[in-house]
Amino acid sequence: MGVVILLVMAAGVAAMLTRKLPTAFALVILAVVIAFVAGAPLTGENSVLDTVIQAGAPALAATMIAILLGSWLGKLLDETGIAGTLVRKIVEFGGDRPVVVALGVLAVSTLVGTVTGSAPAAMLAGIIGIPAMIAVGIPKVTAAGTILMGIAAGMPFELPIWQFFSTALELPVETVRGFMLKLFPFALAAAVLFVLIETRRRGVEHAWSLKSASAKPVSRRKQLGDAPWYALLTPVVPLVLALGFEVAILPSMLAGVLFALVTTTRPREMNKRLLRTLYGSFEVAAAPIVLFIAIGILLAAVKLPGAVESLEPLVKAVSPQNPVLFVLVFTLLVPLCLYRGPLNVYGLGAGIAGVLIAAGIYPAVAVLGLATSYNQVFGVSDPTSTQTVWSAQYAGVTPQQVMLRTLPYVWAVALGGFCVTAASYL
Amino acid sequence: MSAALLDRAALAAVRELEAEDDVAFGVRLLANTPTHEGRDPELLRHWARTADAFGAALPPVPATARIVESDGGLTKGLLARYTSRPVPTVELFTDTLALAEELIDLLGWREWYPAGSVRAAAIAHEAVHERLHHGPAKKTLKQALNHVVLRAGRHTLYGHVAGADEIAAHAHARVACGLGRSPLLLTAALATAAEPQHGSATGSSYGREK
Repeated sequence: MGVVILLVMAAGVAAMLTRKLPTAFALVILAVVIAFVAGAPLTGENSVLDTVIQAGAPALAATMIAILLGSWLGKLLDETGIAGTLVRKIVEFGGDRPVVVALGVLAVSTLVGTVTGSAPAAMLAGIIGIPAMIAVGIPKVTAAGTILMGIAAGMPFELPIWQFFSTALELPVETVRGFMLKLFPFALAAAVLFVLIETRRRGVEHAWSLKSASAKPVSRRKQLGDAPWYALLTPVVPLVLALGFEVAILPSMLAGVLFALVTTTRPREMNKRLLRTLYGSFEVAAAPIVLFIAIGILLAAVKLPGAVESLEPLVKAVSPQNPVLFVLVFTLLVPLCLYRGPLNVYGLGAGIAGVLIAAGIYPAVAVLGLATSYNQVFGVSDPTSTQTVWSAQYAGVTPQQVMLRTLPYVWAVALGGFCVTAASYL
Repeated sequence: MSAALLDRAALAAVRELEAEDDVAFGVRLLANTPTHEGRDPELLRHWARTADAFGAALPPVPATARIVESDGGLTKGLLARYTSRPVPTVELFTDTLALAEELIDLLGWREWYPAGSVRAAAIAHEAVHERLHHGPAKKTLKQALNHVVLRAGRHTLYGHVAGADEIAAHAHARVACGLGRSPLLLTAALATAAEPQHGSATGSSYGREK
């Protein structure tokens, strides 16, 4: 039975890889088929309808709300000009030294990455940041990579991600936070090294472009003035509250929303702006929320007793228990989280993580280490992830070029994460 | 793409461009450069004029970068490109240069842009980027633009004006190659003529290289 489930999973991966089915739809179909193969009844206890679909769909509700709040805050950072002001100031202060500008944009991307993820995060930092970097001579692939590496450096502090791993892996938020603090130095070091090494290796690039004197402004950005300096602290507000004062994730993010609002908006315009940005954030958050509904359903399916029983011997046989082997094997498997591969934590990888925990193969915190390390790779280099596609295309290069340039760095981050995991939790 | 394919509307648009003064193209360039959104057009005009004067006054120096020629400039929306690594190189896109020459004849601009001058201008243009990248000239340009971002007592910190170096490079090319008008006028005309090609290549992306 376990082999059949694995074959079903492989078929699901194939459907996602070939884009026959959107990831969320593929995951739901996968979940239902796995549940049936595992012998789950249609209704009742541990059933397809009641357990997998009814209970699974809202299982990650807290993550969905966190995603929505992150998107709301992202919308506010955009509409109030906070993100744009940060990038503009960096260019003004460091513009004659491309590496300084790139490091500055990297810092802004890291801040933005702590607030929200995916394409909206890339857009917040990149809409001004990418052309600004190109304007000072940073090559296009490096410019796109800088945005993505920056966001990934902020990812260990992205509160919705804490919520996701906490709920999905049934771990306390404190445990997730503890591991993220250990992962952050690797992500930050890789991001800084990416900028330093790549700007040195590739030098600067200036071009006589045909569009430079076109009548239509190329920037899609609306004409916004500078946000006041104290408003620029907005991205760190949720972080300080959640990290420094251990305030829960959702109130921390709400505090960020309120801080952005009161520091940039006249009282009589507050209601209008709040509603406008909140409604706008639903559109931004729609895709990840649908994905989290699907992941919740898949997790419920792979945790069914029949599925765990069938998969346990198989997964146990191939899962390395020796710490060195653990690091080696999972490092070699890094490419499997690219192209919506089976180790993508926002796809089948979530299901595999669920199996690893439910079958008791690794402690939940070790699975957290695996999943978050793979997430660092996926978040930067996967040519099918929205932030990578957006950044590459906006810079005028292909996502594959960005993947090739960034992969060695994020692979090293994953290796660091696996080493910490093996040393601490195996 | 051939300049002969310019339709009536495109020709009219180019004739409108012709009527604008050279500094206006510098203002356009700055306005198209992110970080200048919402800036006072008069300030942009001042910066464009200053950068133009700075570039025009730069003494000519022979280009030391390696020069290579390649195709595909129209798809990329580029006429030339300077890269500092692995060795300083100026890449000239022959298809764009050919279109430029054809367009100059079609529009009757030969008096402003003598035969072969676009290629020479591209080399002179990229040589300024090389000079600004490696030499002390960029500091002088920054001071000339006088964009003060911080002042503390006697100390003044000048801000970087993104795009100003590009205007300076074009102005230098104009003077060094004896052109009658700014290369930016020709660039704008080329953009009109080549729009279907580089427009489709970049889609909705920012997709340009400054």
